[in-house]
Amino acid sequence: MTDPIEEKLKHVSLKITRKPDAHFDGQTTFKDLDADSLDKVQILVALEEEFDIEIPDDEISDIVNMQGFVEYIRKKLENNMNSPGQQQ
Amino acid sequence: MQTFNHHNRIVITGLGVVSPLGSTLDTFWDGLINGRNSVGPITLFDPGDFSVKVAAEVKNFDPCMYMDIKRADRTGRCSQFAIAASKMALEHSGLNMSFEDPERIGIVIGTSGMPELLGEQAEIINRKGPNRVDPLVVSKYRASMVPSHVGLEIGAKGINTTVNSACSSGSDALGTALNLLRLQKADVILAGGSGANVTPLAVAATGRIGALSREADPCKASRPFDLNRSGFVYGEGAGMLVLETLEHALKRNACILAELAGAGWSFDAISETAPVPHQRAKAMQLAIQDAGITPRDIDYVNAHGTGTRLNDSIETKALKLVLGGRAFQVPVSSNKSMLGHLGCAAGSVEAVASVLSIINCVAPPTINYDTPDPECDLDYIPNAARETKIYACLSNSFGLGGQNCCLVIRLFEQ
Repeated sequence: MTDPIEEKLKHVSLKITRKPDAHFDGQTTFKDLDADSLDKVQILVALEEEFDIEIPDDEISDIVNMQGFVEYIRKKLENNMNSPGQQQ
Repeated sequence: MQTFNHHNRIVITGLGVVSPLGSTLDTFWDGLINGRNSVGPITLFDPGDFSVKVAAEVKNFDPCMYMDIKRADRTGRCSQFAIAASKMALEHSGLNMSFEDPERIGIVIGTSGMPELLGEQAEIINRKGPNRVDPLVVSKYRASMVPSHVGLEIGAKGINTTVNSACSSGSDALGTALNLLRLQKADVILAGGSGANVTPLAVAATGRIGALSREADPCKASRPFDLNRSGFVYGEGAGMLVLETLEHALKRNACILAELAGAGWSFDAISETAPVPHQRAKAMQLAIQDAGITPRDIDYVNAHGTGTRLNDSIETKALKLVLGGRAFQVPVSSNKSMLGHLGCAAGSVEAVASVLSIINCVAPPTINYDTPDPECDLDYIPNAARETKIYACLSNSFGLGGQNCCLVIRLFEQ
């Protein structure tokens, strides 16, 4: 069963890096997609819009691949569901 | 009197244009000599409440014809026009970057970038907060990014800079490049201007101060020097020219189109909006002097000719100060009658037109000219192009705010 969070992450990442046919799985990194710093910022802003979350830079500095981002986003969404008052 | 040597003499070897009349040299020139009107209803945004309904838009522009899609994503329309015109000019010149020292190739572009994008992002900050601004807004809007994007595309590593003097920007960039080349700061400079002014903010702001024509009929809106003129019509586009030292051009057996012989500047220093004839005349006189010629050598004037009441009458007075009695014999025409006012790109697109006029011995007309104005009583080549040999062309640009820049473009003679 496909993970909807991974699917959305894949869609956003491949669209912004203009690599519609690139291989994408949990081990994929930004470097694999030839993403430079502008691409990364665009992807993060798009994810914030897509999931209605905030992604501070210091919370993602240790994330190395897409699986890391999927888990980060999932945790963010769970936290938002558990504490609706914390949502912006 | 100037001493000319191969370093002082700066020649034009390539032309590129994106314009409302067409984005190839052939379509552009064909439109000019056939007196085609490129003004039409505004389509780039909905002008519903606006008092101004018409503009001269670039039609069917696809940035992916000139750059890869990622560059297109990161550039605003202004940079895209500049990249397209630059690549055309480079190809036209036959300059092969692989054989050149990239550090001796420069880029100077007159532009104001896309400041209206800032308004959109300010609204996003209000609605969604600062973290949701478009990360690409700096890349797309800043004027300095326009020559930067061109440099990234063509691999030039020499001087890379922006000039902004409103409507004089395109001419100003060419004059700046002329002097940089004379000082041997580069061997080749890709110079010109780019403007994408058909935006709600630009049209609203310029319309509010009464500078734009509110004529809804596109065939009557842009009518420089006519008694019933009522303001200018915004257009958009880019004009880029490959300028190089004569020495460099001869060394690579370049086809030399014309010579950029002189540039002159002045500042009105009177008001933010009202021009003065003697300062405009000063810029023209300085350009002629810089070219090492006299007013008697001017065979054609590519006027600033915006179609505002003040510009056209003041420019006429200034031309009389410069040309004296010959003012009534020297033909004058306004490309803006057909192209609209391309803002920062105007001076450079008109420079492209001036080179083509010299090469082809044809001066384009001033169209939509129906009723003479006693205050504008020169020969404006009304409505039909004219065959005429042109040794030296004076090309005028007078910026809102009083920044004046005039160029002399001359037939190339070894």
